[in-house]
Amino acid sequence: MTSVPRFTVPPSGEAVNVRGLVKEYKDGTRANRGIDLQVRRGEIVAVLGPNGAGKTTFLRQLTTELRPSGGEISVFGIDVIREPQKAKRLMGITPQEAGTFESLTARQHLQLFARLKGLSRKQSIAATAEIGEVLGLTEHFWKPVGSLSGGQRRRILIGLALIGHPPLLVLDEPTTGLDPASRQAVWNVLRQAVIDGTTIVFSTHYMEEAERLSDRIAIIDTGRVIAFGTVRELVSRLQDSYRLSYHDPASGNGHLRVQRFATFADVQVQIQRLRLSEYSIARASLEDVYFELAGHQFQNDDEPAEVLQ
Amino acid sequence: MTRRLIDIFCVFQIQLARLRREAGPFLLASVVFPLVMYMFTSAIGVPGAGMAGAALDPAHRMRFLSGSIVFSLSLTAISWLGYLLLENRFTGRLKLFATLPLAPSSYVTGIFLFALAQAGIGTTVLITVARAFGVRTSVSVPGALLLVAIIVLTVLCVCGIAVIIAARARSFSEGSLLTDALGAGLVFLAPVYSPPEALPRPLELFSRMLPTTYAARGVQTTLLGGSGVGLDLLTLAVMAAITLALGFRVMRWQED
Repeated sequence: MTSVPRFTVPPSGEAVNVRGLVKEYKDGTRANRGIDLQVRRGEIVAVLGPNGAGKTTFLRQLTTELRPSGGEISVFGIDVIREPQKAKRLMGITPQEAGTFESLTARQHLQLFARLKGLSRKQSIAATAEIGEVLGLTEHFWKPVGSLSGGQRRRILIGLALIGHPPLLVLDEPTTGLDPASRQAVWNVLRQAVIDGTTIVFSTHYMEEAERLSDRIAIIDTGRVIAFGTVRELVSRLQDSYRLSYHDPASGNGHLRVQRFATFADVQVQIQRLRLSEYSIARASLEDVYFELAGHQFQNDDEPAEVLQ
Repeated sequence: MTRRLIDIFCVFQIQLARLRREAGPFLLASVVFPLVMYMFTSAIGVPGAGMAGAALDPAHRMRFLSGSIVFSLSLTAISWLGYLLLENRFTGRLKLFATLPLAPSSYVTGIFLFALAQAGIGTTVLITVARAFGVRTSVSVPGALLLVAIIVLTVLCVCGIAVIIAARARSFSEGSLLTDALGAGLVFLAPVYSPPEALPRPLELFSRMLPTTYAARGVQTTLLGGSGVGLDLLTLAVMAAITLALGFRVMRWQED
């Protein structure tokens, strides 16, 4: 059986190195205002942020689709701005709004794009079989993509990124529109890819996805990385990291109240003071961190996506 | 080089899959409409002529057939292909190509190859069907080569225009309006179905800038067995070089 080749990764350099990345459009709108981000080899980094924060702009710049106005980006030491074709050879990319070719079958998609990635005919057949297997697409191989569901098409797009084992995967909201089982399947595939040595940068709106899948999380807001670290590191940044939830005895209809406290002792004092019999205590989650740092954006949600004046 | 050829062929194959699926509308654009135009122009071309153009002399018949071939090329290489390119761009399919280490020129060349295949099918079917209507061509082997050269240059020329529109249009509707208008305009503003002297003087002067003028004259000459198409070939080659150069230049993966 023909094996699927792996791309040769340059021996030195971080997987992704971004410094002072800026995007300013001709009309003066600034989408990114100086993004700094270093991604180590073999880690999964999730990019979070409200709509219009600059996530997709950043990923489009990283994948060479959008020319930066300033700053530097390199992938495994290769300058993405100066050598986009060379950099793309090291990347598997799933854009947020990519379309499939309705008249091609799932198999044709994978096989033709494998060929376009530089695999030989035999290798592309082997790679197509492999990706079809891991993404559960084999039974749909012979159907035109036009007859497949949105989730199945999304899996094909992820398959196109994965095919040929690129050392870096850049996925813009990869599991949007997938049902829970498909999402879990994609997570498993991505985890396996990392075990095999792949580095992954992905954006998502799902906190659970970021928390369960990634090693580190970058929160982008107003075109800058405002926080970057592991979930534990991000949570430790919160001053009040204990959350007490209870039905407020003072209100007649028992409204649910959530209060935050710096220490567990403070929580206990509050429980005793209110004489609560039913309550729950939780440590702050990534969602709390997110709302604390970037939650204000929801008040301005009518601003155009990806463009911040 | 081999890598580039594989890329071009893959892009061609992807577009070809669509042609297989949408063969009906393609034949409508490349054969049925031009054939109807042939019958229409034959009917009105000479007073008293029937639908099959029985009373027409060979020169008239050949003018209408060559006009219909150029009409077919224009419909498929600008309107149809432009629509396909616009759809690729505005439905996110182009993004898939942009994610690959694929040169934009390979994508454009694959598209040109596809357009040439379409033109080959359309022209062959039209000439074959025309024979059923009693139109006899007298094309020698060198004449056939000249005909192929004219068709290739015409297709490249109008394809270049389609690529420019598809790459520059601000919206799908804007782009499809432009390609439709150009597809029809290139035929009806040029002496494709009529002799140049039948056009009003300003239009006749304007038509000298249109590739379809030279394409129609060249196709007609070769179908009549002539070989004096040097000037037409040269003009088409210059026009094709200009539109191709612009087409390759405007087609980029990276946005500013």
